[in-house]
Amino acid sequence: MEKYFDASYIWNSIPVLLPFLKVTFLVAGSSIVLGTIFGLLLAAAKLSSIKLLQTLANLYTTIMRCTPSIVLLFLVYYGVPALAENFGINLHSIDTAIFVVVTFTLQFAAIMSEVIRSAYLAINRGQFEAAVSVGLTPFQAYRRIIFPQALVIALPNFGNGMIALLQEGALAYTIGLIDIVGKANLIIASNINAHALEIYIALAIVYWVLSIIIEKFFAMLEKFFGKGKKTLETT
Amino acid sequence: MNYQFLVETFFVALSGVPIALLVTIVAMLVALPLGFLLALTRVNKIPVIHHIAKIYVSFVRGTPIIIQIFIIYSSIPLLLKMIFEKYNIAYDIYKINPIWYAFIVFAFSTTAILIEVFRSALSTIEKGQLEAAHAVGLSTIQAYRRIIIPQALVVAMPNICTATVNLIKATSLGYAMSLPEITLKAKVAANVGYNYVEAYIDIFIVYLILCSTVEYIFKRYEKHLSKFKVAKA
Repeated sequence: MEKYFDASYIWNSIPVLLPFLKVTFLVAGSSIVLGTIFGLLLAAAKLSSIKLLQTLANLYTTIMRCTPSIVLLFLVYYGVPALAENFGINLHSIDTAIFVVVTFTLQFAAIMSEVIRSAYLAINRGQFEAAVSVGLTPFQAYRRIIFPQALVIALPNFGNGMIALLQEGALAYTIGLIDIVGKANLIIASNINAHALEIYIALAIVYWVLSIIIEKFFAMLEKFFGKGKKTLETT
Repeated sequence: MNYQFLVETFFVALSGVPIALLVTIVAMLVALPLGFLLALTRVNKIPVIHHIAKIYVSFVRGTPIIIQIFIIYSSIPLLLKMIFEKYNIAYDIYKINPIWYAFIVFAFSTTAILIEVFRSALSTIEKGQLEAAHAVGLSTIQAYRRIIIPQALVVAMPNICTATVNLIKATSLGYAMSLPEITLKAKVAANVGYNYVEAYIDIFIVYLILCSTVEYIFKRYEKHLSKFKVAKA
């Protein structure tokens, strides 16, 4: 075994890889913020009474759900500059990270729109009516009554979406982003493909730990925000 | 935009569909029974196995599938090489068809996803159902086959649909194992004239058709299954 597999490579590569998590976080973080905003708009479109907006938003979600991240990534990476060229804009020199953020924003928005929509629908309409009837304005009713309750319902799905985004983000290396996966591939290339397995295992460990942290963090948040929630313990 | 290339490559991409579907179906056929059995160990808290299953699920859900591919694709040849050297089997491991690796990788990850799907589906079935089945004289296996599984399946169906669609999408990562599926085929065709935009539009359309069809089939099947649901709350 020692000839092919050397566990010390795993531990030695982790400190080299960790600084590149910054890039991963930056890209994932921007996509989450932008995607949530866009997702909110999509959810609003889905819940609106205008049929056309509803159809468009639903179509968008279906298309995003049916497209593999890697295909979307390349479509954005090659397609957007080609499209912009038609209008005389040169986008070939901008940073690859921008393309990655655009891709995952588009994708995360689709996930988020469903999360937000289902959380909103889970809140009984009577809550809003009750709030308005005691003299709150509709905005106050949303901010104080609907939003805090919807948040608790949305949190687990939001956490899952975040973990999914983090993992899909691992594909950003394919268009040349030097994040943690990109760096790992560089290390492997500089080793002439030797000990690739150990480096990949190191990567897996980093991602695994990250996902567990996110999961635990969201479980904590849920407990914190859900402290006022009282439901029948049926299940 | 090269429209002729766009049309030609569409059929190139389409020719990768059988491989993508084959990988999906084989992975599903392995993952469905295995996932169900492991979900049972989780529900019934069978010592040791249910802990292993828990760690396994956590690992698969916690790591990107591309990294699982990397790990499996680079570790299996090493393992096989050691075994072959030990027993003096003269077989070139680099001649193994990449589809075998794809079967292993995707069955590995889908099983973990399905464990969670079945576990949550089984937990929606009340314990009283099993007790009632026992009380009228069914054995545990009969109770599961006739009472528990049909009900759990209805609950699990939407999630199985999502898992299948995700699996089809994940086969696009087969390029990392040089598996000639939809993405790789179209990409290779694009390499000649750098027509990447056209190629990716084709790939995009093929996946869109494939996944919406699968979703539609599942929706139809769900409707069929929900007919058996008599009591509505």
